[in-house]
Amino acid sequence: MSDAFVQFRGITKTFGGVKALTGVSLSIPRGECHGLMGENGAGKSTLGKVLAGIHKPDTGDVVIGGTPHVFGSPREAMDAGVAMVHQELAFCAELSIAENLCMGRYPRRLGGLLLDRPAMQHRAEQLLAAIGISLDVWQPMSALSTAQEQLVQIAAAVGSEPRILIFDEPTSSLSEPEAQALFTLIENLKTRGLTMIYVSHRMPELFRLCDQISVLRDGHYVGTLPKAEMTHDAVVRMMIGRSVAEYFPQHLSASPGDVVLRVRNLASPRKFTGINFEVRAGEIVGFAGLVGAGRSEVAKAIFGLDPRANGEVELAGKPLPLGSIKAAMQGGVGLVPEDRKRQGCVLGMPCRANIGMAMLDRLRRAGLLDYAREKTIATDYFERLRVKAASLDAPVNSLSGGNQQKVVLAKWLARGGRLLIVDEPTRGVDVGAKAAIHALIDDLARQGMAVILISSELPEVINLSTRILVMREGRLAGELSRKDASQDAVLRLMAGVAQAA
Amino acid sequence: MSSPSSVAAPSTAVHASPKPAPRRRRSFGQEVGLCLVVLVLGAILGIYGWHDAPAGRPNTFLSLDNLVDGIATPMSYYAIMAVGLTLVIITGGIDISVGSIMALSALGGAAALQTLPADASAWLVLPVAILTPLVIGLVCGLLNGSLIIGLSLHPFIVTLGTMSIFRGLANVLPPEKTLPAAGKRLPAAFTTDFMRLEWFGQQLMPLVIMLVCVAFGWFYLRLMVAGRETYAIGGNEEAARFSGLRVNRIKLRTYALSGLAAGLAGMVSLGRFGTASTSTGTGYELTVIAAAVVGGASLIGGRGTAIGALLGTLIIALIENGIIILRMAQEYRLIIIGLAIVVAVSLDRLSLYLRARRASR
Repeated sequence: MSDAFVQFRGITKTFGGVKALTGVSLSIPRGECHGLMGENGAGKSTLGKVLAGIHKPDTGDVVIGGTPHVFGSPREAMDAGVAMVHQELAFCAELSIAENLCMGRYPRRLGGLLLDRPAMQHRAEQLLAAIGISLDVWQPMSALSTAQEQLVQIAAAVGSEPRILIFDEPTSSLSEPEAQALFTLIENLKTRGLTMIYVSHRMPELFRLCDQISVLRDGHYVGTLPKAEMTHDAVVRMMIGRSVAEYFPQHLSASPGDVVLRVRNLASPRKFTGINFEVRAGEIVGFAGLVGAGRSEVAKAIFGLDPRANGEVELAGKPLPLGSIKAAMQGGVGLVPEDRKRQGCVLGMPCRANIGMAMLDRLRRAGLLDYAREKTIATDYFERLRVKAASLDAPVNSLSGGNQQKVVLAKWLARGGRLLIVDEPTRGVDVGAKAAIHALIDDLARQGMAVILISSELPEVINLSTRILVMREGRLAGELSRKDASQDAVLRLMAGVAQAA
Repeated sequence: MSSPSSVAAPSTAVHASPKPAPRRRRSFGQEVGLCLVVLVLGAILGIYGWHDAPAGRPNTFLSLDNLVDGIATPMSYYAIMAVGLTLVIITGGIDISVGSIMALSALGGAAALQTLPADASAWLVLPVAILTPLVIGLVCGLLNGSLIIGLSLHPFIVTLGTMSIFRGLANVLPPEKTLPAAGKRLPAAFTTDFMRLEWFGQQLMPLVIMLVCVAFGWFYLRLMVAGRETYAIGGNEEAARFSGLRVNRIKLRTYALSGLAAGLAGMVSLGRFGTASTSTGTGYELTVIAAAVVGGASLIGGRGTAIGALLGTLIIALIENGIIILRMAQEYRLIIIGLAIVVAVSLDRLSLYLRARRASR
């Protein structure tokens, strides 16, 4: 392309032995809003961060306006006119909007001794006005809603007068009207000639905003679609490399067994309310919903992690006291949590210690740890799940994301049980391991385990589940049987437009 | 406990990958480095001590007298507390009240013992002498732990407070600044016959107690379920909780053990000196923290060993002793020890970094 303004050339990036990007090359014309699309872990955010100087590529460079760059720090990228609006918002929560917006270049007076507060206020208000908002700039960041925080971040990014602005999953924590306001703002910015890169996996917003969409899969560049060719099917095919309905889970061939979990009027203040459902042995019940809809919170409440939860939970016919992890575990509940690194495993400890961690009570022999048994069990699950690691004693943080997740799964399988809750089991997991984890979950159900599958990836929930429950804003919005569960139907329930459509 | 029916993992339908190659773990890598430092320091001092000794006199460093009285005995209080503190540090916490607990325990022990006649039978004296300081230490430790988990406060803040409170109690409670009171003596069954008992012409009891304490620490951390739990909550408290570990109970137990170790140190000090004063153990907490950290315990949590705590204390004790052997001015002592701490920890982190880098290749 002759009019390429931003050009990635052969970008490769590795994290601890895992290739996040492999030889990615693509060009973006000036003044375009360019979508970067792909599943979780496809490398789209990583590519954005390479451009913003957060990740230094192992090989390859970025050409901006004819000048090649390899950014080693965000500062270098900023100097070249690249700004990024991050998914995780990075602010000093206790400082005011003005202080955050002026950070690093505070206006001073009296020979640099004192902060020039009126000048700060003026600059902050100007920056906010530039994107058409006005806020009290002396209120602390912690007083703002997520959407307002993001607007402040955008104001800061736009205020640095960038030539290129990157948005990384900007709507992931916004409500629908907030997202609409953001889209209007982005369209407005586009009319000013700013080149934008919009990283997301949400098709409707990409279709609305972007002139072209480039798709990444498993760290590779798959292709670019111009606006005219953007169709749901085309993008999905590029994203997952196959059509959606290909996989047919094995567990569906058997009929479900007895009710394992019965939940009645489960509620937790400010999190969710009026939750009723059942899960039978041999079923995979999928939970779909937007981030923040309360899915993980329900899972945590069943597992005893929510001391304020109330309602009735029955496990295999026996009432389960809420708020006790011990009771949940003794009743045979396991939870593979959504945040693998923070909640799932102790990264610095060996794989085998992690696998044994949920069954320490059973590995105890007169207070001593039964190392031999732990080793036997860990070896067994290493082989069954084909965990790729240097050894049983390798620390978990030396493993790839997929293998880390297998270790977390092994921890709960080793303990055994009748109900396994898996929350975002394939987040940040490469394609190969993902298929293996899907097959594993399917197989568990086939062998009679009751499974609750929470996932933000629609193809995952739709393909794997016996039936799907959709949550919206802390309530169950509806249930779909496998045959009714199209992406469209689930999305409509998630967004709350079922009645209108 | 009702054991739910176990569901086996599938043996099929997982993608193929090569079987992992077995590799030996270098579990003693940390301690090997510390031993090396000990040997190098020992060799330097040994050569100097041999060179320095007048003709016909024993090596000033490598003599039994110096090794026991100059190094092992003075380091025993630190090492005992360093083992306890290492447990706390592994959980990601800190306990800076150990010096004050040691004083309170020693004074409590002295107060109890001075009520007994100086020639009382060992069967009466020893239980009182041993149990009083240990119980006081345990109670103090339990108090620390309860405050930390009950108020959800940072352990530094809580033990900063209790450090002051325990020291204050040590000042207020005893009728005199030094116990036993004037004209009284502790029973010989505890001091002369127990803590200063001579084997091979040396008083080895503090050394023996220290080694038993380290052995228990090793046993606790390496072989017991409790040890695994300690590392787990230090490595990632939230993941430990998500795996069903009872984090609060484990923390309480850890602070109790640290208090118990400080009580034991108080007992050793009391028996060896025959007295305890309100200033016993003042400033010890910093040396103990330094010893634990030099011994490889990470203040972030998740890392540390009992042997490391012993070796860390030994390195500091060797440097202290070396200053005397080398006839250096005592005024430089603090500077040299301070430098040694910073250098030792930097080297430790460097080796960790290099190991991590090699592993990620």
